[in-house]
Amino acid sequence: MKRDPIVAPAVLLVWGAVALFILYPLGRLLVLTFWNGGPSLDAVRGLVGDWTHRAALINSLLLAALVGVAGTALGLAFALLAVRANLPRWVGRVLDAVVLLPLISPPFTAAIALIFALGPRGLISYHVFGLTRVNIYGLWGTLLSETLTYFPIAYLTLKAVLANVDANLEDSAFSLGARRWRVFRTITLRLTTPGLANAFLLVSAASLADFATPLILGGTKFPVLPTQAFLQITGLYDMRGGAALCFLLLVPALAIFAGQRWFTERRGGSFVTVTGKVGAATRVKTLSPAAVAALAVACGLVMALVLVCYLLIFAASIVRALGADNSLSLAHYAHVFSGGLKAVRDTLVIAVICMPVGGLFAVVLGFLVSRTQFPGRRTLEFVSMMNYAMPGTIVGIAYLVAFNDAPLALTGTAFILVVCYVFRYSLAGTRATSAVLAQIDPSIEEASASLGARRDLTFRRVVLPLVRPALLAGMTVLFIRAMTAISATIFLVSLDWSLVTVRILEGITNLELGQASAFSVVVILLVYLAVAVASLTMRRLNAGSLGQAGTLLGG
Amino acid sequence: MRNGCVAVGVALLLVAGLAGPATAETLNVYTAWPESLSQPIFKAYTAKTGVQVNFIRLSTGELVARATAEKNNPRADVIWGAPGDGFAAAKEAGILEPYRPPTWDRLATELKDREAYYTAVAKNTLVFMSNAKLLKEKGLKPPASWNDLLDPAYKGQIQTADARTSGTALTRILSIYYAFGRDEDKAFDYQKKLHGNVQVYTKSGGGCTIPAALGQAIVCIAHLPDAMEAKKKGYDMLVTFPKEGVAAVIEGVALVKGAKNRELATKFIDWTFSRDMQDLLDKNQVYMLPTLPGASVEPSVQSLMKEAKLLTVDLDWVGKNRRRLVERWVNEVIKE
Repeated sequence: MKRDPIVAPAVLLVWGAVALFILYPLGRLLVLTFWNGGPSLDAVRGLVGDWTHRAALINSLLLAALVGVAGTALGLAFALLAVRANLPRWVGRVLDAVVLLPLISPPFTAAIALIFALGPRGLISYHVFGLTRVNIYGLWGTLLSETLTYFPIAYLTLKAVLANVDANLEDSAFSLGARRWRVFRTITLRLTTPGLANAFLLVSAASLADFATPLILGGTKFPVLPTQAFLQITGLYDMRGGAALCFLLLVPALAIFAGQRWFTERRGGSFVTVTGKVGAATRVKTLSPAAVAALAVACGLVMALVLVCYLLIFAASIVRALGADNSLSLAHYAHVFSGGLKAVRDTLVIAVICMPVGGLFAVVLGFLVSRTQFPGRRTLEFVSMMNYAMPGTIVGIAYLVAFNDAPLALTGTAFILVVCYVFRYSLAGTRATSAVLAQIDPSIEEASASLGARRDLTFRRVVLPLVRPALLAGMTVLFIRAMTAISATIFLVSLDWSLVTVRILEGITNLELGQASAFSVVVILLVYLAVAVASLTMRRLNAGSLGQAGTLLGG
Repeated sequence: MRNGCVAVGVALLLVAGLAGPATAETLNVYTAWPESLSQPIFKAYTAKTGVQVNFIRLSTGELVARATAEKNNPRADVIWGAPGDGFAAAKEAGILEPYRPPTWDRLATELKDREAYYTAVAKNTLVFMSNAKLLKEKGLKPPASWNDLLDPAYKGQIQTADARTSGTALTRILSIYYAFGRDEDKAFDYQKKLHGNVQVYTKSGGGCTIPAALGQAIVCIAHLPDAMEAKKKGYDMLVTFPKEGVAAVIEGVALVKGAKNRELATKFIDWTFSRDMQDLLDKNQVYMLPTLPGASVEPSVQSLMKEAKLLTVDLDWVGKNRRRLVERWVNEVIKE
């Protein structure tokens, strides 16, 4: 199993790609920051207001941890409801559709929608509850907004993992006389450990990299590192100081990575639930009707909040000027389909290319780090999450520094955008693959090998179908991010490639709330379409294969 | 799967090929002005000369960061329409080339960099914009002095830009500094008091416009074009100026060092300082004041500006002191 001729080249290829597109740009930026005719710390000396940066480091860690825990918990609640509550199929579909919404949220729109819902004159806070002194700026507002934005990543990961927890195992526990809560704790939750750990990693790292939410909702009392770095670069024109702050972000990123490993290892043991032997499927009954009802209420409330925010966006898109002239109008959509069509098309082309490329990369990487042994495996795991955990601004600048001139002049092409997205946003697919693989008995692959199949054939015919839900989750996240990413994009978008997010940002800065909202609605519809097509295609490709893959949209 | 990989590879190559470098007679511009303001001006130039203007719109800070990172292989020829402090930073980063348009001598001294690294296209003023409905609800008059904003009725009802953002916040800090007779300590005492009434400092210059328009705050302190844009959309906003005066900052233009289309770029800059372009500011309702003497200013803007006492800003002093002022703001005004 270990001496397989295909593994070494695959590892080399992945390492090469990661070195070129993650380590090399960050390395160039590191040199630019800390090298001034010799090693130098003068980049750090220029940082304004030390107390804000000290507070920012602590706040970033705190926020990432809180968002990680809250996002994972919320994701788990939704995933349980979706695959463990025996609800009718349409409920699952509604859940999927609504849960994806906040993840799609194009830049700034979610935070702005939240202000309109919960601000001093918010729809919910003022018009429903009559509160006038609400303060959503600070830790709580940021935490709420980021949790709502990123819990769908946890949901997608956990759904793939939970679907693989064999109900027969729970059944055996029941027949041995265990009570519900005990079964849930010792079987269901325990077997979900790899999923929980990876979901936490994904959600908290996404929070670390997010500067847009705290930019709008953080206020001055709650500085976080990515926002500080952004301000240092864009407000004080201090690229080196900003870069230095971003490198500081690697400390909490490493802490999250270590925390995730510690959690998985502490709970130790085997998480295998998918073996070659599939018993008769039994009805899941871990959750009591009362528990299902409680989950449904909790998830229902969250969904209601999400829906209010998005209804506000939808409302803004179909009236002339929200709040000033509320007469119905399709003018904003007319704008999207005339002046904005090129942006929609360009974005779609890039996102559609990213999806399979990034999906494949994610699965191969996830497979290599969890199924094979090679030196530097842990390092590769951490390096692969670096671009994900860094604010987009810095990733964009690093790419610009590295790829703007010979030998690798890639700027101005769509290629650089694709590469940037693939190496920044494949992480969700990678981690979901790892989580699902931890549940799959390696003896299935061994059986394939002993029947004479080479490793690549096994990978294609056995592993890929088994990790299909993870692959789909990864591709969904990647597609959404490719459609909506802005912070890195703004540095890489060329004169020939205009992107939807740039137009949305344009709309926001230009007070064209209606146009920004119309673009957002179009993006949301396109994402639903893409996810539906992807899951149908995969079902078609893998028809009749192993695994109990629940698909994303519509089970 | 392998076929899939090949197809994807081919698609990638195709896409990479499609996005080749721009052809001749195309000028590449970075601008911080919103598309609605900049594009009509670029289109007018294309209509006049046949030269295509390709532009990317970025926030000022992103613009400078991008141009700096591209230093060794510049992608833009001209930086057009960004606040003066951005140009000061770009000059310091060594990415600009000095250039004097033919009308250089006719422009006032405070409108150009002494060494001609950048020149003012237009002047941009600070205003108070207030939500008319909320003012009425609280029985308040629109603020007409910096001190009016200290009224407890405004507690948690004022939004304005964070000092660490570019442009707008700097204009505010300078306005207050000049309004208090260039006494920095007094100016900071005032800002500390104002801080008590501020709901949030937004991280983009015009970021308070929509919240104020929709009633999340009563007053937004921002630039005139933001306010006029809101009024144009139909939001009931009142525009007032503090009687002590407001600073007018410059919106500049500069030639990028090592520009690939240098000649096209200089011609475009020349045109920027012709009556032809300077009149467009007015005609297109940009709500910034032209810098070329004699260019037209619409009567409504003229009458609006009559209420405003414009304070002249010393560019050199700003360049030397900006960072220190921001640092002081962070350490004295917002520190608890």
